[in-house]
Amino acid sequence: MFSLPTVQFTDEQEQFRLEVRAFLQEHLAKGTFKTKCDSWLSGSDPAFSKLIGEQGWIGLTWPKKYGGQERSTIDRYILTEEFLAVGAPVAAHWFADRQTGPLLMRFGTEEQREFFLPKIVKGECYFGIGLSEPNSGSDLASVKTRAEKVDGGWIINGSKTWTSNAHDAHYAVTLIRTEPLGEKKHDGLSQLIIDLHAEGVTIVPIKYLTGEHHFNEVFFDNVFVPDNMVVGTLGNGWKQGLAELAFERSGPERILSTFPLLDELIAGLKRQGDAAGMKEASKVLSRLWGLRNLSIGVAKVLEEGGEVAIPAALVKSIGTKFEQSIPEITRLLVRTYPRLEAERRIDRFMAESTLHAPGFTIRGGTSEVLYGMVAKGVVGQ
Amino acid sequence: MSEMKEMIVNVVEKIFKDKVDKEKVDVVEEGKWAEDVWQVLQDNEMLAVAVSEENGGAGGDLDDLLNLYRLIGKYAVPIPFVETTFANVLLEKTGLNVTQEKATYAVEEQLNVSIDNGTVSGTIVNVPWARYVDELVVVAAGTSGLELVQVSLKDAAISPNMNLACEPRDTVTLVHAPVQQQTKITNEQLEYFIALESAAKSAAMSGAIDKAYELTVRYTKEREQFGRPIHRFQLVQQHLANLAGEAVITSSAIDNMIASIAQKCLQNEVAYTRIRIEEAAKIVAASAHQVHAAIGVTHEHSLHQYTRRLWSWREEGAGEAYWTKQLANRLMEVEDDSLWGYLTRTEKVFQL
Ligand SMILES: Cc1cc2nc3c(=O)[nH]c(=O)nc-3n(C[C@H](O)[C@H](O)[C@H](O)COP(=O)(O)OP(=O)(O)OC[C@H]3O[C@@H](n4cnc5c(N)ncnc54)[C@H](O)[C@@H]3O)c2cc1C
Repeated sequence: MFSLPTVQFTDEQEQFRLEVRAFLQEHLAKGTFKTKCDSWLSGSDPAFSKLIGEQGWIGLTWPKKYGGQERSTIDRYILTEEFLAVGAPVAAHWFADRQTGPLLMRFGTEEQREFFLPKIVKGECYFGIGLSEPNSGSDLASVKTRAEKVDGGWIINGSKTWTSNAHDAHYAVTLIRTEPLGEKKHDGLSQLIIDLHAEGVTIVPIKYLTGEHHFNEVFFDNVFVPDNMVVGTLGNGWKQGLAELAFERSGPERILSTFPLLDELIAGLKRQGDAAGMKEASKVLSRLWGLRNLSIGVAKVLEEGGEVAIPAALVKSIGTKFEQSIPEITRLLVRTYPRLEAERRIDRFMAESTLHAPGFTIRGGTSEVLYGMVAKGVVGQ
Repeated sequence: MSEMKEMIVNVVEKIFKDKVDKEKVDVVEEGKWAEDVWQVLQDNEMLAVAVSEENGGAGGDLDDLLNLYRLIGKYAVPIPFVETTFANVLLEKTGLNVTQEKATYAVEEQLNVSIDNGTVSGTIVNVPWARYVDELVVVAAGTSGLELVQVSLKDAAISPNMNLACEPRDTVTLVHAPVQQQTKITNEQLEYFIALESAAKSAAMSGAIDKAYELTVRYTKEREQFGRPIHRFQLVQQHLANLAGEAVITSSAIDNMIASIAQKCLQNEVAYTRIRIEEAAKIVAASAHQVHAAIGVTHEHSLHQYTRRLWSWREEGAGEAYWTKQLANRLMEVEDDSLWGYLTRTEKVFQL
């Protein structure tokens, strides 16, 4: 089986956690933001992202020459946990911090790093993830959006869909066919950074089931992308993208999207002195603990450059199911009346959790696809 | 179901198929009133289905009505059909005059509503459709026990609110609102009304479950990935099998529950049904969304009109928490070693 390291936090790390927590509590009290479930994907607030940038808390692990702090992956893990635990609105800079930065560090050119990373770190430059297309979801390698070579760059035609927060983002990292579809659909794909404000880009909102504007369809009509916006090696986009996925799938955001609700549940049971309910709820904590061990262990291995695709897929598939279970457990232990505009926090968190829960096991690769990966991985071991 | 009953259900289903589409439900969720749907039900005398002929109704029974409630869920019908018809059931069962107006109701334990000297006062939250209807049938505490009363909502202050499905769930405040009619009811009657109301919600939920199941089956035939329809993947087949199981258990639970209600005797059928349907609602909503993946969480797709109703309705009226408490109390009374005897007993304990 996979063995993952255990992580003991240092005194400095404990200190850092408390520092972040105090900062967030202060801003919560001041009304800078309001706690929300699923805030990492549905809570986009550029002003808040800038504030976090000023703290030096975006690109925390990146080299100082790009504006980073050169802190450890575990420090970043702590920071992320603290954001999620209070449901802070970190969605605007989320993808840039979690994915684009590490991608550029690994595959990008020096020019790209110098251009993008300092802006990202300030909380002023946001990225969307342009992978899915209307007919290419789970079968991502079948994407059709294509690039034709012209002098000095590429001309893009096609569309991406479900692009979260594209309307707030400045750029998107996209998976594009730079060679015509051949024998192997995984070949000939490249990662290109597209300026979302370039001529020929049209962003059409797709309303989420709540009516909120969350994701978008992004159309490319003869969009010019200069050569220096190709990330890594031409035609190697599929492999580069896979490398990102371990980061994408194993973080605390696959466990804690509904934590504010759990917090409120425990507080409510305590207020009511409901020992029987608390006994039920306590089981949840042991599940959370088990998942958190896994997720932190994966973070540690990633920092050391190890291979963790399978455990990362497990964190996501088990973790997102856990997140989904919180509203279902809550409603059986306390009486709630879920409503997005409710005054009672528990009612509002119930509404947010229930309405956003379906997406947890879909976005970033469906559970079914992950089960397939895990099974293949363990059989192949 | 008799032929007569089947005919009623078919007629109404046809009306809903014609009149209630995704766009209609959207418009109502934005705060409009669907007069055409209301009108056609009125013209076809469907609003008085369960009212006896001598009271000017169509002479149907409660079981007809419950079967119609399934359709309300199946088509996400955005008018107070359940509310108006159920208010009339309450009125007729307690010997009061039925109303010809649009109506709603509030029957719960511990409602904070009191009646004194011919006027009613109190605040009630989550009253379905209050802003659009004329009459409210409500349980109030009188000086000598419970009363069922009818008040006009013209005499109420209404502040609009909604549930997760954007259906109106308003706060109604009554300050010495004049009583239209009233009658004493017993605690047993109130319990019975609470049970019936819970049964009504279960019936509506079962319709939404049916629809979510149907939409999912259809989608797995239409959607292709990796060069084949997704119903060919075993994990999708597992979802389909789970959905089919939940849908058929739900539907037969409702059939059995309605049969018991029609025989005017109950054991624990309403309780079992509601508890089981809340479980089914959870499984069905999750699986239906999982199979639809991204398209299913868009507002443009209709799936959410059913899943949001399931997530809303399961919190309304007497639900799992209420019924498990009742069941627990009843089970405490079962003699030692006689659970099987209890489960298989044909004698019905509660006469309606
Ligand atoms: C809230 C949200 C945000 C998103 N944000 C982004 C974003 O920012 N950028 C982006 O590019 N994409 C985004 N997505 C899209 C997401 O990545 C896709 O929805 C996902 O990959 C599934 O694709 P699909 O929706 O087309 O479903 P499909 O692939 O059509 O799948 C339908 C069903 O079939 C199952 N299935 C498909 N293939 C198999 C198989 N081989 N074996 C077993 N079962 C299978 C799936 O598990 C699912 O249950 C987002 C999605 C959501 C819900």
